[in-house]
Amino acid sequence: MTEATPKASGIDATLRALLADVLGLGEARAAALTEDSGLFGELPEFDSMAVATVLTEMEDRLAILIDDDEIDGEIFETYGNLLAFSLRKVID
Amino acid sequence: MSEHRLRIDPAGAPRATVLIVPPLFEEANRTRRTLVLAMRALAADGFAAMLPDLPGQNESLAPLVDVDLVRWQDALAEIAAGIEGQVMVASVRGGALIDHKAKAAAWWRLAPVGGASLLRTLMRARVSADREAGVASSLEALQGEAKTAPLLLAGNRLSPFMIAQLGASEAQAVEPLRSVGLGADGVAGTPLWLRAEPGEDAAMAEAIAADISAWSMTCGIS
Repeated sequence: MTEATPKASGIDATLRALLADVLGLGEARAAALTEDSGLFGELPEFDSMAVATVLTEMEDRLAILIDDDEIDGEIFETYGNLLAFSLRKVID
Repeated sequence: MSEHRLRIDPAGAPRATVLIVPPLFEEANRTRRTLVLAMRALAADGFAAMLPDLPGQNESLAPLVDVDLVRWQDALAEIAAGIEGQVMVASVRGGALIDHKAKAAAWWRLAPVGGASLLRTLMRARVSADREAGVASSLEALQGEAKTAPLLLAGNRLSPFMIAQLGASEAQAVEPLRSVGLGADGVAGTPLWLRAEPGEDAAMAEAIAADISAWSMTCGIS
């Protein structure tokens, strides 16, 4: 139980850094992302190539494997959804 | 067919020529501006710097579907052989997959990446674009299709040969080699090759040039 929080905050930080790298958000914009911040469809930089890049980088940086079938539109709807998906994958 | 080569010369006779091998596909566009800034910094430091177009990329007249990694390796070997004086190869990301056939006095690689990872991203971009357009698509189906027919992946029409080679390609051993990543032990900067919108980073360009220059001294390239 006590381990969950630092692990989660590490994943959160990794994910924000990754989005900053791929979308060129800058530290301030990446830090300002909330659970409800829209991603795909809301950020103009977030096109299908960016989605693909984010997925491959998530695999590398979080040491997970993401199966094609796990990806649906909802994951990229909000930052909160993407974070929840990442946490689920890392804990699995 | 001779390809365009961007060459920046120093004021006097060059200490050596740094042959820049760019990242592959879209990553080349995202990094070009910063790499050319690094070439200028190298020229100011007494090196000649050359950035060739790979056949099928940039201004090349060759159709991309006709080329593969082996052709790129051979093209770079031919370019290196035509350079007068000492050659240092500096490759970035997927450039490291095609830089080993060139004869050089030293190699330098920034953030080398396996071909499988590049291919996975390209395939995913296609799946993602297909699904947005309402077309059923999957990595498995595309991989099957790629065995016999060219695939259009994120704007790149790639042959079955290219796709098979990419899927299995790793950077090959070369000597002497300095392989660096981003960060405190390598080059300070951000992974511009991942950016959805191309950016540029003058400080990173200076850091790239300084690291290449220091490595050339270590290797005894005057």
